[in-house]
Amino acid sequence: MSEIVANDVRLHVQRIGPPGGAGTDIPTVVMLHGMVMDNMSSFYLSLGTYLADAGCDVICYDLRGHGRSERTPEGYRLTDSLADLTGLLDELGVDQPVHLVGNSYGATMALAYGLEHGERVASLTLIEPPFLLEGLGEEMARSLSQILAAMSDDEVEQWLQQAAGRVAGRATRSARRLLQETTIAGDMLATQPFSTEALGRLAMPVLVVYGENSDIVDQAETLTSVIPDTTLVVLAHHTHMVLREATGYLRELMRWWLFEDRGTEPPVYVPRTERRFETPRWVTDMVPPPDLNTPRPAAAAEGGRG
Amino acid sequence: MTAQQTIVTGVPAATGEKVAQMDRPAVETRVLEEIAEDVRDVIGEEYAFDMKITMDTSFSEDLELESIEFVALADRLRERYGDAVDFVGFLATRDVDQVINMRVGEVVEFVVDSQPTPATTGSI
Repeated sequence: MSEIVANDVRLHVQRIGPPGGAGTDIPTVVMLHGMVMDNMSSFYLSLGTYLADAGCDVICYDLRGHGRSERTPEGYRLTDSLADLTGLLDELGVDQPVHLVGNSYGATMALAYGLEHGERVASLTLIEPPFLLEGLGEEMARSLSQILAAMSDDEVEQWLQQAAGRVAGRATRSARRLLQETTIAGDMLATQPFSTEALGRLAMPVLVVYGENSDIVDQAETLTSVIPDTTLVVLAHHTHMVLREATGYLRELMRWWLFEDRGTEPPVYVPRTERRFETPRWVTDMVPPPDLNTPRPAAAAEGGRG
Repeated sequence: MTAQQTIVTGVPAATGEKVAQMDRPAVETRVLEEIAEDVRDVIGEEYAFDMKITMDTSFSEDLELESIEFVALADRLRERYGDAVDFVGFLATRDVDQVINMRVGEVVEFVVDSQPTPATTGSI
């Protein structure tokens, strides 16, 4: 099974389980990836196969417009993303509460889904969620506009033509088409602010993960202060790309979160001192820098932000 | 149906006694051909159809496979080989870089190693 039409959109879905197939009494985990330069593979290859092997029923899918899912010209508001997920769960016949695991925009989406459809959610894991009580939609739209501007430069075009490898080239072109040919950037503006009161009533447990060196780590404080049942983990030496950077630890953390007694402490994170993350290579790690034009794009692709 | 009818699938073991007589290199060659077919199909571009895919071919350096294409490949291989080959468990022991940097031969060997002892019959 790899394609499902949900909410009138063709979605690329991978559902994987433990050897011998999924039993009836195992956790169902749904993974929600980040926006524009991301797709389900970042979860499938990091936590997806691991948690399936560990005994979970794991559902990964490409969000509308991403990966191998349909790139509709419109329908990229947060409310559309939530409707797509509801449609997908219905199509798959998932009627038990699921554990949502989101990364970046996918984490913000998971939180919104928990608020909107609490009865369908067993727990939330939010990895690097962009979270603002005011101006979240504007911030996300601004971020996408910035990426589009950086990608539309002549030098980028030259780089795509001459120097970009197949993987970087396809990722960049795909992201550019999503930004240029759909309403995604403008649709972000329709994002409604989170209600502090509603967040305060959120009933399910919430695991929050940030990288200490992330540019949005400051948002953790507000998030964990307004939601009642949160467990915050901040990983030293890591950035917004913590899912890719600290996969080994996140596997342990998720296993603890899903299978261990919540009264126990989360696994201790020991930074791998031989490998510190300041800035990842932007193409392979899927976030183009705002200063893409300096240094030259080809150099940026080779050497990262700096 | 007769006792002579044989289930023909991508799993060499299902072909019964013939497999028992095959030596490992022959099975590897066959599995390599099957996986190469799925790789070319997933990539779907001319360069892949022209490229010779061997045990030493790297998914990232040689084939320049995107990680989402690797997911699609894993899906096809799960479909082709069924429960006999635990791809999920195979991938679960590797991180993203280790998966993408694999050579085709590692997957081929895993498939061959996963085959049960050749059955005495593949008949239905």
